[in-house]
Amino acid sequence: MTRFVESTITFPYRRSLGPMLSAFMTALTERRILGIRCGEAVLVPPMEWDPATGAALPLDLVEVGPAGTVQSWTWVPAPTEQHPVQRPFAFAFVLLDGATTPLLHAVDAGSAAAMADGMRVAPRWRGERVGRITDIACFVPGEQPELDGDDTGPAAQPVEIMDYNARITYRNPVPPSADRAVELSRQQRLVGMRCPQCERTYVGGRGYCPIDSIELGEEHEIDLAHTGTITNFVIITPVQYPGQTETEPFARVFVLIDDSDVVLAYQPTIELPVADVRVGRRVAAVWASPGEEIDAGGGMGVSLGALIGWMPTGEPDIADPDLVNRIF
Amino acid sequence: MGTSRDIAVIGWAQTPMVRHTELTETQLLMQVITDALTPIGLTRADVDFTCLGSCDYITGQAFSFVSNLDAIGAWPPKRDSHVEMDGAWALYEAWLRLHEGDIDIAVVTGSGRSSTGDPSLIYPMEMDPFFLAPLGADPVTFAALQARAVIAAGIADERSMAEVAVRSRGTGDVDTLLGGDYVRQPLRRHDLPPITDGAAAMVLATGERARQLVARPAYITGFDHRTECHNPSFRALDDSPSTRIAAAAAGLGDAPIEVAELQAAFTHEELLLRHVLGLGQEVIVNASGGALRENPIMATGLIRIGRAADHVFGGGRRALAHATSGPCLQQNLICIVEDGEGQR
Ligand SMILES: [Zn+2]
Repeated sequence: MTRFVESTITFPYRRSLGPMLSAFMTALTERRILGIRCGEAVLVPPMEWDPATGAALPLDLVEVGPAGTVQSWTWVPAPTEQHPVQRPFAFAFVLLDGATTPLLHAVDAGSAAAMADGMRVAPRWRGERVGRITDIACFVPGEQPELDGDDTGPAAQPVEIMDYNARITYRNPVPPSADRAVELSRQQRLVGMRCPQCERTYVGGRGYCPIDSIELGEEHEIDLAHTGTITNFVIITPVQYPGQTETEPFARVFVLIDDSDVVLAYQPTIELPVADVRVGRRVAAVWASPGEEIDAGGGMGVSLGALIGWMPTGEPDIADPDLVNRIF
Repeated sequence: MGTSRDIAVIGWAQTPMVRHTELTETQLLMQVITDALTPIGLTRADVDFTCLGSCDYITGQAFSFVSNLDAIGAWPPKRDSHVEMDGAWALYEAWLRLHEGDIDIAVVTGSGRSSTGDPSLIYPMEMDPFFLAPLGADPVTFAALQARAVIAAGIADERSMAEVAVRSRGTGDVDTLLGGDYVRQPLRRHDLPPITDGAAAMVLATGERARQLVARPAYITGFDHRTECHNPSFRALDDSPSTRIAAAAAGLGDAPIEVAELQAAFTHEELLLRHVLGLGQEVIVNASGGALRENPIMATGLIRIGRAADHVFGGGRRALAHATSGPCLQQNLICIVEDGEGQR
């Protein structure tokens, strides 16, 4: 039975808005909605170009609404966490007064029976507005805008940046061959799989040869040495993006395993200061102690399980000018 | 555009289509590429160019297309490309590449594991980041708004939509289906596509090689794709001008077609596309069940072309395949395949 691993990825985007979107978003904080002139038309949401021709539009903004007319709608009986209203609501095309194109937004009408084409709606503004389309919490039936919560007023500065945190949860299968490689690592074994056709060896429980595109199984396993030579490396100065746990510069090295053609990429180092990392340096595998928590695989990249890094052996360096080219 | 060089589909394969596969996307591709090549007597070494269509957003792994390269046997190094689109667009790129004249065999794929995430939460993030993504504007909502427009224009009604569902899936009863609850009015569960994991691979060859390898190549005689504004606010949702333009450019009007495979994930989309393409009752539409039966995102469009090619392999003369991408049929591709009798 294949094991699945669930992971949640967050993408923190910071988007530049540019002059037109900046004006639109800033106006939202002032509880005003802007459209843009496009010939005789007034486009809402505003666009930087004519949607029919692609021609750039002059920045000729015009206030619309705040009330408008529902052109079309559909009822959302079971909202998701991403939806702006957390009880059943309608998504609707709202043609704001003065606009010639409809804005998609939520209408909080209580029930589908209360919705109709041609009905009049007005925005329910958030009290705290930051310059996002969701500063309009939703639209409500009637002509009168509403305010949801205490009014914190318009933005002090023009809104030029928009943060958007996309967040997705995935369930990915972990091939049984990858699980087996991790299990063998708990026995302090570094096991490769040798392809019977091309005789290349792969580690990390890949389960197939990418050159010949054939499956590899336990019958192709071979034990590899626990020593090797650094062929190449990179010193990383960590950027403090969300999720980064490193604070000081650290090394990732490529290790050519003795008596094999296997190069392990992007390996951590142990008891090896950044300044002492060099091509040709001899290293030995370091294993997690029994019971220590290890990367069980299934995340990004290949997991070598209980093989947690490489430390210097103290042997003399290997002087081979071709070593540096061995990154695969 | 018409073609100046004979290029044909000579074979294709698809994986089993399942709700939830235990295979990785790379494993799906390894299997399906072998299945496409073997019956023709080709190996990966014979392939001059590959183009893979897939989507990291759906797979949930950054650079997933790089590990997918393991499935093509890319050593010695191969000419390769990738589109973050349905495999139908990978086919378009391979078709263009073969026109350069220096190579003869190409393989294209489309692959996706939709079950990896929750499509209703993933797709809103692909929308306009300023006006739509922050609202969680989801594909079923947009489909419902388009269905309303199509119904208002008299092109469909809820009954004809249910009939499409029954015919596509080969199960169910229209009156029973019409008694179901709305997911998004006017769409009920039966109007929506299933979630499917799967992949497809297709082999293309240029004229002489194609004729050496198979008895009846399916020649691509017309191929075009067009797109519309990304935001449905600015589109006439009861029409699909990009489909109409692509079909005219691909030569739909030049001769009758016998079969059409349309990438219609929602029932009303089939009715709208039939209307826009002017398909009469004599044209057999989506005999395969189409995207309403199996909808492996990123492969669904390529499979339409495979099904059209099957018609030619089996003795047919001329078939049309359609693929689409984006909310409310934003971007549309038309591929016409023929048996070649009309050309020589
Ligand atoms: Zn091999």
